[in-house]
Parts: sequence; structure tokens; C-alpha cells
Amino acid sequence: MEAPLTSAASTVEEWTGHGVDVGSIERRLVALRESVEAETEGPDLRTSVMTHMAWVPPDWLQAATETLAGLAERHPSRTILLVPEPDAGDDRLDAELSMRCFPLPGQGHHVCSEVIELHLRGKRAVAPGSIVEPLLVADLPVFLRWRGEPPFAAPPFAQLVDVAGRLVVDSGEWSDLPAAYGELTAFFDRVAVSDIAWSRGLGWRRSLAALWPAIKAVEELRVAGPLADALLLACWLRSRLGRQIELVHEDCEELELVAVDGEPARVPNEEPRKASDLLSEELDNFGRDPVYEAAVSVAR
Amino acid sequence: MVIFGASGDLTQRKLMPALYSLALRRLLPEEFGLVGVARTEETDDGFRARMEAAVREHARDEFRQETWEGLAEGMSYIAADFSDEEGQNALAERLTKLDEERGTAGNRVYYLAVPPSAMSTIIRELGERRQAQGWTRLIIEKPFGHDLASARALNTQLAQHFGEPEIFRIDHYLGKETVQNMLALRFANGIFEPIWNRQFIDHVEITVAESIGVGARAGFYEQAGAVRDIFQNHLLQLVALTAMEPPIDFTADSVRNEKVKVLRSLHTPGPKSVVRGQYGHGWIEGEEVPGYRDEPDVSPDSTTDTYLAAKLYVDNWRWADTPFYVRTGKRLPRRDTTISIQFQRAPHPPFEEMSSDGLRPNVLNVHIQPDEGVSLAIGAKVPGQGMSIRSVNMDFLYGGAFRTGLPEAYERLILDCLLGDATLFTRADEVDEQWQLVDAIVAAWQRDRPSFPNYAAGTWGPSSADELIERDTREWRHH
Repeated sequence: MEAPLTSAASTVEEWTGHGVDVGSIERRLVALRESVEAETEGPDLRTSVMTHMAWVPPDWLQAATETLAGLAERHPSRTILLVPEPDAGDDRLDAELSMRCFPLPGQGHHVCSEVIELHLRGKRAVAPGSIVEPLLVADLPVFLRWRGEPPFAAPPFAQLVDVAGRLVVDSGEWSDLPAAYGELTAFFDRVAVSDIAWSRGLGWRRSLAALWPAIKAVEELRVAGPLADALLLACWLRSRLGRQIELVHEDCEELELVAVDGEPARVPNEEPRKASDLLSEELDNFGRDPVYEAAVSVAR
Repeated sequence: MVIFGASGDLTQRKLMPALYSLALRRLLPEEFGLVGVARTEETDDGFRARMEAAVREHARDEFRQETWEGLAEGMSYIAADFSDEEGQNALAERLTKLDEERGTAGNRVYYLAVPPSAMSTIIRELGERRQAQGWTRLIIEKPFGHDLASARALNTQLAQHFGEPEIFRIDHYLGKETVQNMLALRFANGIFEPIWNRQFIDHVEITVAESIGVGARAGFYEQAGAVRDIFQNHLLQLVALTAMEPPIDFTADSVRNEKVKVLRSLHTPGPKSVVRGQYGHGWIEGEEVPGYRDEPDVSPDSTTDTYLAAKLYVDNWRWADTPFYVRTGKRLPRRDTTISIQFQRAPHPPFEEMSSDGLRPNVLNVHIQPDEGVSLAIGAKVPGQGMSIRSVNMDFLYGGAFRTGLPEAYERLILDCLLGDATLFTRADEVDEQWQLVDAIVAAWQRDRPSFPNYAAGTWGPSSADELIERDTREWRHH
């Protein structure tokens, strides 16, 4: 896990606007940046590594904001939070901008992250791709974190996928499993996909891999944990071994037990990772993950 | 200064705010006077009030009453059609009066912000009525002609009455700080010029993207299209500045000599190397927008191009076989003008394939608008265990580095004209070369009827533009 540089932002500049257009958001961002630079005597040299978009229905906003709080220092970036409010009763764009800067120990410079929270009210939620395109940091990777289960057939999802290089989901947030995995596979050729539920299971996959070669003969996998985590473990084994394996699932909030033909596997020796740590790791990945794709492809 | 076309949008949005900013910084001579000329009926007071409102709305500086009053004192307006003698006499009288009252000593700058159809009469009358006293300079707004023949005719007419040093053909892109910074970047730094050639640069991409549609300019745009509105002037000037050899000094002729050499070296692209497009209905910034053919005053079966992409080659020692991919269009997803220099990949990165998934070739981006600055994409190790590498951008933003407001392009160009410096203006032979290329492109278009619209508003142009660059196993830069 990457350690944060400091505990808190030393400089925070914010701006809020209702009924704004993209041009005014761009101008305000420049003004915020200049304001921070004036206060901190730098940085004149800004470093960005990506644009991080997040589709965050209002019910997910608090969780998303908390995750972001632990993320900004490790990934100096522009984050665009898209909060769809199609039933708002009016058609407008509201924006909250903030720039958070963290001092680099022993240096006069800061690492700055910009957060653009956009509330897409009424018809403004119909074509979010056209709203975010002008706000992407040019020439850098674009990550899309989709909170909740994506409406795979809806235009907003397809639009945002098309501007992103990597889609980050947490299938643990989905209700329509395993059918939703089938819809996800249709996007593998369009965008690289990360699944936080898959990352959470890494320690257990290592434990199961350590059982090689005996695990070749496994008939039944018993998993006590979230359904997504259980399905991904079972499907991973199915895709690697190339045959059917029975999954017995017991629902729990966290992955607690994995047993192979009744024999409990070794519990991974690792601290549970925070949501921001898990997302942070996904933001360091760029290419497709063929092992994950293979596992999901047999989940249908 | 006399502005022909003083009732137009350009005067309100650009020229008057630029003059105000120059006045605020005491860069205009104390004797400076301004006469607006247009056919619209308006009094001197009405003109001053309209210009004050324009300054308040569009100037980059705060409004200062004292500065404005000093500028407004020398302002007046003549409602006239310059093709009739009465209007010409009225202007002559007004200028004589300004000489007497403000001591302008016969020095004249005529700003021709008028449609091409009005240009010829004004040039002829100004030429025939020019006085012996003082100097005379003409600033001529684009479009400078409609094709090579009309541009040559205009140049010939100008040359009958004025010397080349008196003619200032404006391309406002050249007044932008970042465009000029391209020269500083290349020729004031020892690190770039040695690698600024075919050996180290894989290709160059130049994008001039607009998110706006045709707006109120349909009358002009239907005749011009993207090829004459942007490609002929702004885009080719950016190509010239990127590819030119170092001038021996920064005088007007030295710089323009080098630019002309580039324009002359441009290989005329074949039909397969040019893609044209026209936008259809789509979405911009979350709002639904009509297709070009549904815009007011546009023909419902218009074949006007609102998008153009081309692969150009500069046939000289430095750039042989290095493609310059250029594109411009309306109703693209974002407003963005950038010159991207993509360098060759590192010949043999000694890293595992997976560890450098996030690594892209080095790209030097010169951002011209909206955020003026320079960024360099470099590969860097991700902190932590192992050797994972990804591209990061080092950004240099003008606003952040110099902490001073950037002058608007028109400020710089008007001031240069007042000082008699034509470095950032286009010379007759440059215009000639630009039109030769455009005529060759347009001639090929006469042979077929395009299937328009072929891209949706809010997208990056027709799929054939992607194919143009993907044929060379390259891709347009990410936005």
C-alpha cells in the first residue's frame, strides 16, 4: 500500500456555481490554480497523471467523497464527479470545484488535485460524455469509476466508456449477479476493465493457487462472503481449470471463509484494505487483465 | 485609426477591448484618435456608448473611467457607404480635423474589418486619396481572397497604391503568446532544436478544434468552409512556425522568408490524404444542437465543409517523410488548439511489457488555447515496489509562471502595426503559397459530391479522419 505524503491538504480553494456552462468551469479552474500558486509560491510546474471520472448517483455520493479523500495525494489528477439528477425538475448544470494541495516534505512545492463535482440536472444527464470531454486533461489516461451497477444498455454509460481508457467497477455493488457479468463482457473490447471485487479477492486467490497441484481435482468451492467475491473466485477456478466447479455460497459482508471440498483454505495474511487503497491500486493499472476477463466470461 | 466595419462583431468583441487595454497600459500615443466607419446610422455619442459597453463586457482589464474618457475623447463615427463620394469626403474631413485637433500629423492606420466584396473599393479610394504627409498602414482582416486568383488580384490592387511594408494582413493566431512562444521554445533553448527533425520526431499533429457551430456567420461560412476559414490561414501558419528553419534575426523579412520556404515545400496532398466533413445533429456540453444544414441561413443541401483533416509533408532536408497531420472542425467536443510534437519511441525499453502498459511516446504539446502553455509527456516510475512505468505530464502554464495577464492577440498586433513591425503579419507571397495549396485541395473536391453530414456534433469528426491516420499505424492524440 502506498503511504500518503501528508495527513491533510494545506491549501484548499473552492468555488460553487449554479446553472453554469463548461467554459465558466474551465475559467474558474484556471483562477483557482492561480490563486493556489499565489498562496504557495508555487507550483509553477504542475504534475498530473490522469483524469479520474466517477459516475456517482446521489445515493453513492458520500461513499465516493470519502474514497476520494484518501486518494488525492497519491494520484495528482483531475477528478470529475458526475452526479446524475435526471428528475431534478429543471435542466441545468451545477458545479462545485475544489483544489486541494499537499506540501511535499522538505520542498517548496505542492502536489495539487482538482475535484470537479457536477450535478447533471434534468436533461443535462442525457449526454454526460459531451460535458466531460472538454474537461479532460489532454493526453493523459482517463479512468471511469462507475458506482453501482451500470445500466449497460443506456447511452450515458456507453458515452462515458467511450471517453475512458479504463473502467473501474465494484461488482460487489451490483444486484443482478451473475447476469450482469454477461453484459460486462460485451465491453471488454471497448475498454480495459477493473473490478474492485476482483482485487479484494487477490489474497484468497493466492491461497488457492498455493494448493496446486491438489486443487486440480476440486469439485466444490464453499465461500462465505459477498456474492460477487464468491462468484469471481469460483469463476476464476473454472476458467483456469477449464471445467465446471460447484459453488456453495453463504452470504456475509466480507470474505471470511473459502473451503475446497470442505477443507478450509489458508486465510490470507493481510490487512483488509480501505476503499481508497483498492481504487488507488486500480488507477495504477492500464492494460487489460486477461485472467479477470476469462473469469467473468464463464460467469454467465 | 479608422475602422471600416465599425458596427461589426469584431470591433466590439476584439478591436475596441484591445485598444482600451493598450490605452490602460499607456501604449497608445497621446494623440491617438479613432474613427469608426460603417453603413449603420449612429451618432458619435451612440458609437461611444456602444463601444463603452463593449469594453465593459469584453475587455480583459477592469474598467477605469479615466482611461475610457481619455480614449473616448478622440473617438467619432461616420455613418457612410464608402463606395459613395460623400462618405469618402466625410472621412477625409474628419481625419483632417483630427490632425488639427489632436496632432495626428497625417499618420493613418486603416483597419479593414469588412467583407471581401467591400475591400476593393476601400483600397482604391484610400490609395487615390492618400496624402503626402505622415505614414499610412492598412490592416486587412481575413479572408484575404477566396482563392488564388482573387488573392492575387487583391495583392495586385494593394501594390498599386501601397508598399508591402504598409500592408498588414492579419492572422490573429500569430498574435497569440503561445504561438510566438513556439519561436522562443525552439530558438531560445539549446535542447529542442537538435532533435527538431525527422530523425527524432515521429510525426506532428496540429489541431484547431472549435465546439461552437456556425452561429451568425452562415453567410460567410457557406462560401468559405473550414478549408478557407481555418486551414488556409491559421493552420498553415502553425505548420510554418513549427517547421521553419531558424531565422537569422527576428525582423519581419527574416521570419517571413523562413515561413514562405516551408509553405513552398508543402507537398500537395492527394485526395486520399484529405478528409472533409460536415456536422450533423448531436450534443455539445450536455445540450442538443442542430446539424449544420439545419442552422439558420444554411442551405438544406449544403456541401460546405465544417471539418477538414489532412496529412501534409514538408519536402525538405529536415522533414522529409515526417507527416504533419492537421485537422480543424466545428462542433467538435472541445475548444482546443494544440501543436503536438510526437517523438520516436525509446528504441529498446528494458522493461517487462506489462510494466510499461501506461507508457506513451514522449509528446511535446504547445497549447495555444484555451489554456496557453506547454506540456511534456514523459515516462516515470510509479513509486513503490517493482518497476511500473507510466506517462506523466509536466505542465507549464503561462498564467502560473509569469503571474501576469496575457495580452489579447489583437492588442499585440495593433500595437505592432502602430510601431510599423510586420513580423507577425502575413506577407503577399505567404498568402500566395497558402492559396495554391487550398486551390489544389478544393479542385479535387469538385469531382465528387460528398455524403454529408458525416459526423455528429460533439464527436471528433468523421471516421474517415481516423482512418487517415490509422493507415499509418498512428492515432490522433487523446483529449
